[in-house]
Amino acid sequence: MRALEKLLDRIIQRVNINLRELGFDVTPYVRELIPRMQMFKFYAFYGITPHHPLNFQFTHSNLAGSYFLGKCRVTNSLLYKSDIRGDELKKKGAVFQFQQFEIQTTRDEQIDIEDSFLIKTLVHNFSHDPETLEKFFIKDTISMHYANIHGSPSDGCFMGPFSTVDLTTMHDCVIGAFSYIQAGEISHIKIDPGTVWVRSPDNFNFLYRYDNKLLNKYINLTAGNRPKGLLFDFVEDHKKDFERIFSLVNIETPRSIPGSASLDRYAVIKPHTNISENVLVAQRAYLENAWLGKGANAQENCYIINSRLEGYDITAHGGKIIEADLGKKVFVGFNSFLRGRPDARLTIGKDSIIMPHTIIDISDPLTIPPGHITWGLVTNKKDLETNSMPISEFSKIETRCSMGNMIFEGSGASFISAFRHRIDHILEANGAFFNGAENKGHAQKNQSISFNTIQPYPMGELKGLYPSIIIQP
Amino acid sequence: MNNFIVKDLMVPLSEYATVQEGSTLFDAVLALEKAQEEFDYEHTPYHHRAVLILNKDKKVIGKLSQLGVLRAILPKNELIQQIEDISRFGFSTSLINSLREKYRLEESILDDIYKKAVRMKVEDYMQTPSEGEYVDEKTSIDTAMYQIVLGTHLSLIVTRGDKIVGLLRMSDVFAAVFHAMKSGELTE
Repeated sequence: MRALEKLLDRIIQRVNINLRELGFDVTPYVRELIPRMQMFKFYAFYGITPHHPLNFQFTHSNLAGSYFLGKCRVTNSLLYKSDIRGDELKKKGAVFQFQQFEIQTTRDEQIDIEDSFLIKTLVHNFSHDPETLEKFFIKDTISMHYANIHGSPSDGCFMGPFSTVDLTTMHDCVIGAFSYIQAGEISHIKIDPGTVWVRSPDNFNFLYRYDNKLLNKYINLTAGNRPKGLLFDFVEDHKKDFERIFSLVNIETPRSIPGSASLDRYAVIKPHTNISENVLVAQRAYLENAWLGKGANAQENCYIINSRLEGYDITAHGGKIIEADLGKKVFVGFNSFLRGRPDARLTIGKDSIIMPHTIIDISDPLTIPPGHITWGLVTNKKDLETNSMPISEFSKIETRCSMGNMIFEGSGASFISAFRHRIDHILEANGAFFNGAENKGHAQKNQSISFNTIQPYPMGELKGLYPSIIIQP
Repeated sequence: MNNFIVKDLMVPLSEYATVQEGSTLFDAVLALEKAQEEFDYEHTPYHHRAVLILNKDKKVIGKLSQLGVLRAILPKNELIQQIEDISRFGFSTSLINSLREKYRLEESILDDIYKKAVRMKVEDYMQTPSEGEYVDEKTSIDTAMYQIVLGTHLSLIVTRGDKIVGLLRMSDVFAAVFHAMKSGELTE
């Protein structure tokens, strides 16, 4: 137990040293956040498949309730109920295109977590940093509940709850709660809560900032307290269903699942759920009375409740869809919270884009017409007027546009094209276009997966730490 | 030029604009105006651009430049702060200026400027000199030039032992360099 305490002290100190320039002390945010009992109560588990390199190295770490897939190394770290999903890491010999350079990887890429504390965090995708193609590092970093580290090497950072850093290398940064950052590279910057920033230098720059007073209702974090707000309560309210799934060794797959679809055994499936062909349901996803049409997917920490997704819809990591009807090919970005009511449903027309970290929370019925892009906080039709636009109109922006709390500069066409390209890539990677022989993706490949569990020392000086383990073929 | 030392080009402290700690921004601007009027422009065409702040023992504790005065009078409301924050996110100067123009009408910088200036204390806006802004009066101008250029200072505070005796202004160093160039041209 003492070893665990020393490890936490060491991580806090290292992160604080990195963030000293920003005057940010992580201690009150994380010191007593997770009861120590919890950290040795849960087992860790890893997946074995014929499609991903088997290479796990765990040293002097606590891995409570965490999941590992692909090539990962964890050293001197605390990982609490986190998903380290290495199924999109670059393979040896892969060519990475960066500007005019084509760089070949010399070995299989590895997720390398060192001196870090990740709480209910998802790590996914691959390093987009051309300087570190074979190592997706997460070093001296603390991330809080439901943060997403997506293709983003990180060194010396603090990420608030429900924050996402996407395809961006970060050094010595503080990312506020519910902020989404996709900016290539950031350093020595403190991002306020509720900042949605998507920047491609010389192409476009999108910035939306939540009114903090309004955001606090959904998520807020103060020193010395657990995160609070509707988003956090919503997830906590569904925790029990996951505990049941994790406590069972074997779970039967429902017979109604098509052969081309993948339903992770660590997903919660409640009655009246329909899963069509080529659907992917990732671990820690929650479906209740949900209709998922062909090629739709629900990624980690997604909740789809009393809703219908027509097909080829993407619900990115942490997306929540409640009492809603989505047309075909609707993209719902990371950590978005879309909540209609039984008597006030939310309808989203086909080919629409819901930007990452969007909150739509309505008490009267609301329809977003087909082909629209929507961002920020929408609680009624009036909000929609300043937080949504036809994609065709957005594509016509050539200089700048400002609406409500949103500022955009650059080429709207490039921005939309980047999103479209990414949506197609996600559908392809997830196996949405599988035709029975070709275009296999995660939905098909993840079917042949088995899980092993590992446990920490149950008592003594090392209580809570996992023994050093190397798992290789 | 080769033999010049700092003392040869500095403005003596007695000729420089100074105010006491506790003075207002308006006092500082008046002191600067007075010093400019009384300054002997025979040897240099350049105006003073800063006011030195002295404590009760007549020691220099800070410097308030023209830039510092302009910075001090900029409105600091929430809206302006938001625009300044936005500039951290890599937007163009043109976009940031368009936002400033949009919100300028709500509070112009010059609205009630006198009332503001008599409320503002110089010590809240002065710049405390860093170690690299002091130079001994016997230092060669060549060496002082390095200090000005590498530190991007508009002036250096000149010392004699523990005492501050004057200011070496970048404009005077430039004038000397310019003069040396012209002399060279004539002898070529």
